Amino acid sequence: MHVPEQLRDAVVIGAGLAGLRAAVDLERAGCDVLVLEARDRIGGRAWSGVAEDGSTIDFGGQWLGPGQTRALALAEATGMEVFPTWVAGANVELREGERLEYSGLIPTADPDASIEVVTAMLDLDLLGLDVPVGAPWEHEDAALLDAETMATWLDRNLASPVSRGIVEVALQAVFGVNSDELSVLFVLAYLHGGGGLTNLTRTTGGAQERRMDAGAGALAAHLAKKLHGRIELDAPVDRIEWDATGVTVHVVGRSVPVTARRAVLALSPILAERIALDPEVPQRHALAAGMTMGRVRKVHARYARPFWRERGLSGQLISTNGSISSTFDNSPSDGTSGALVGFIAGRDYDATADLTDDARRNLVLDELACAFGPEARLATEYHEVDWPAEEWTGGGPVAVMQPGVLTRVGDALRRPIGPVHLAGTETALEWCGYLEGALESGERAAAEVVASLALTKGSEEG
Amino acid sequence: MASTDEIIEAYGEWQSRSNANDRLRKMLRGWDRVVIVETTDTHERLTITVVDQTLTDIVVGAPEMVDLVVTGTSEDFCDMFWGDLNPSEKYISGEIVIHGAQADVMRLDAMSMVAFLDQ
Repeated sequence: MHVPEQLRDAVVIGAGLAGLRAAVDLERAGCDVLVLEARDRIGGRAWSGVAEDGSTIDFGGQWLGPGQTRALALAEATGMEVFPTWVAGANVELREGERLEYSGLIPTADPDASIEVVTAMLDLDLLGLDVPVGAPWEHEDAALLDAETMATWLDRNLASPVSRGIVEVALQAVFGVNSDELSVLFVLAYLHGGGGLTNLTRTTGGAQERRMDAGAGALAAHLAKKLHGRIELDAPVDRIEWDATGVTVHVVGRSVPVTARRAVLALSPILAERIALDPEVPQRHALAAGMTMGRVRKVHARYARPFWRERGLSGQLISTNGSISSTFDNSPSDGTSGALVGFIAGRDYDATADLTDDARRNLVLDELACAFGPEARLATEYHEVDWPAEEWTGGGPVAVMQPGVLTRVGDALRRPIGPVHLAGTETALEWCGYLEGALESGERAAAEVVASLALTKGSEEG
Repeated sequence: MASTDEIIEAYGEWQSRSNANDRLRKMLRGWDRVVIVETTDTHERLTITVVDQTLTDIVVGAPEMVDLVVTGTSEDFCDMFWGDLNPSEKYISGEIVIHGAQADVMRLDAMSMVAFLDQ
């Protein structure tokens, strides 16, 4: 029998933005809280590094947009500069070996296809408004919508392969998977919470509108500082024993478990499945089994200067062939050096996963050269983050639901398991999958814990 | 700065283009709405009504019950109605502001993208 440490008010598992937000809120409410993090760093999917020229590289989530009030406020609190994503100039579309330039959100070379795309995106956005974000299974057609994949929805609603290709790229960019891996009901709820697919794919006026000069990692660092060292790194949890009174949390390699009256599990539901709950919760197994983590490789190519701007190009690319499906100008705010960020997602991720690092780098730089000119091959620095290979995330940008999951076990996503409360961007009502969603979920989980501890205290005082 | 007459003239062009655009008319199915155009510089209010998939003539003044209020400069409205300016870009940059139900705002945004793509 292990002798536990002191009984804490709460233990938070996961030091991503959700876990850190929850922990800071709990501490503010007067709780004795400890954060356990499996990695040797904080931040989870909010992870930044430094390029050779000293500017920030965001390896994970990086953009802020209108309506993301928590993330914007937190960025402001750090004192860092928040600046608009560079959008001036023409966007590029690569389609079946052709290079086309366009302005606005949707490639315009084929107006019929463009209009079909706008109409389909509007249809999805309007359908999404009817789906209750907190309880999608209550929609009157929930069973039908949850039985269908986005692939069959697109087949029914888009006649042209060109428009189909553009929407597929949009879904890949947002979810990191392809349309045949997504439940329509899940997508509609997700779109409702994020202001619609049009909003999620937009730069100015949408989810990619602004960037942070110190990176998303600075948001995590700002929160962590408020916890005065109450974060233990290299502390992967493999088992939680729970009953009505609290939790006993077992950390791999440690003989003494952590005990607390409440726990916050701030992980994606898929990753959380690696932690055995005792007693078991079968619904959680079903939830994890029905979810898929996005598969995205985030690519950074850095240059002496943003040469594409001199050619009148914005750095934005949509490609329906090749490995990279989208890129953005990711240069520092002062433009003293250049950077392009791109995403290899879903099936494109699968198709390029077995290439050697050199082969994939050459492939990516060749595609960038097709889009922006031969100078793109002359990257001074090149970074890739293979999110599915990140042991303590398992993919990115978000875990998605296959058909049949939301209506069967969707209510297990946020419902506390006794004293164990659930956070993580996947559990957010709004901006699920985004930095904002992570913060919202942490805030909500902390409020649940504070309320339940107050109730317990009240009944003890009687 | 554009005068009210100039806005009305430019709108006439937009109206005839839109009413002749089958794809746009399809998007207007079942969407009868009263839209107010409000200029921030000349402080003019004009009313456009969408009835049976058709844009009516623009009328000076505004009724009490409206569905959407679109606010921007008189110059931007003129350029937009003449087709020289992408309304969607002005909307996302915040230079044109739309107030109304979220579904109506989304539809107007998409319609403006279609109208611009199709001209």
